[in-house]
Amino acid sequence: MAPRLKLSGIQRQALALYRGFLRTARLKSPEERQMIESVVSAEFRENAKSVDRRNFVYIEYLIRRGKRQLDQLKNPDITGLSTLRINKVSSTP
Amino acid sequence: MATPSSAISAKFGRTAAPALSWKAGRISGQNLISMGTRTTSRRSLRLRVLCAAKPEMVTKVMDIVKQQLALKDDANLTADSKFTDLGADSLDTVEIVMALEEEFKITVEEDNAQSITTIQEAADLIDKLVGDEGKAA
Repeated sequence: MAPRLKLSGIQRQALALYRGFLRTARLKSPEERQMIESVVSAEFRENAKSVDRRNFVYIEYLIRRGKRQLDQLKNPDITGLSTLRINKVSSTP
Repeated sequence: MATPSSAISAKFGRTAAPALSWKAGRISGQNLISMGTRTTSRRSLRLRVLCAAKPEMVTKVMDIVKQQLALKDDANLTADSKFTDLGADSLDTVEIVMALEEEFKITVEEDNAQSITTIQEAADLIDKLVGDEGKAA
């Protein structure tokens, strides 16, 4: 594994975004907080695994989208977030 | 817990010497220490935050790290354990730092949060931040 301190700018942006989400989640109710944390964590981990690390355009898009979502989440009127999982596998005839 | 504690005391021994030499530097008139900006009457406090974190702090940090990474209780942790060696990725590290922040009621700056790689570093930083907070209050 590469030395930890040598994170690229885009990596640091992603981590800062993740930290921002976790910080914001603290301000919500305990149940919602748990929900937000699990959704956000799953999203970050999934993208970290599935997105090619050189696909900068897409990563930048994801970070931008995340920032926008974080800004919305920061609104005190927003109590939580949810995800809609559309089953991509349509193998059933 | 026999092995971790011995590792801590070794770390202590190593850091004790520089702490003393800093003290000497201060007495000779020059403010060699860039941190600790407050009054001079709290010299002991200032020196305390420069020392390595206390063993209790290191143990507490270890417990939180274990919890965050879902490690077994008998996992072989030492103060010098790197988070990455324990199987943490950068997202896990963020989570650890956030958990520590909450536990000790502190706020870790963005730059500092990136530079924490070992349990000892985390404990030292927390000790410093907790000390600063005590001074501010």
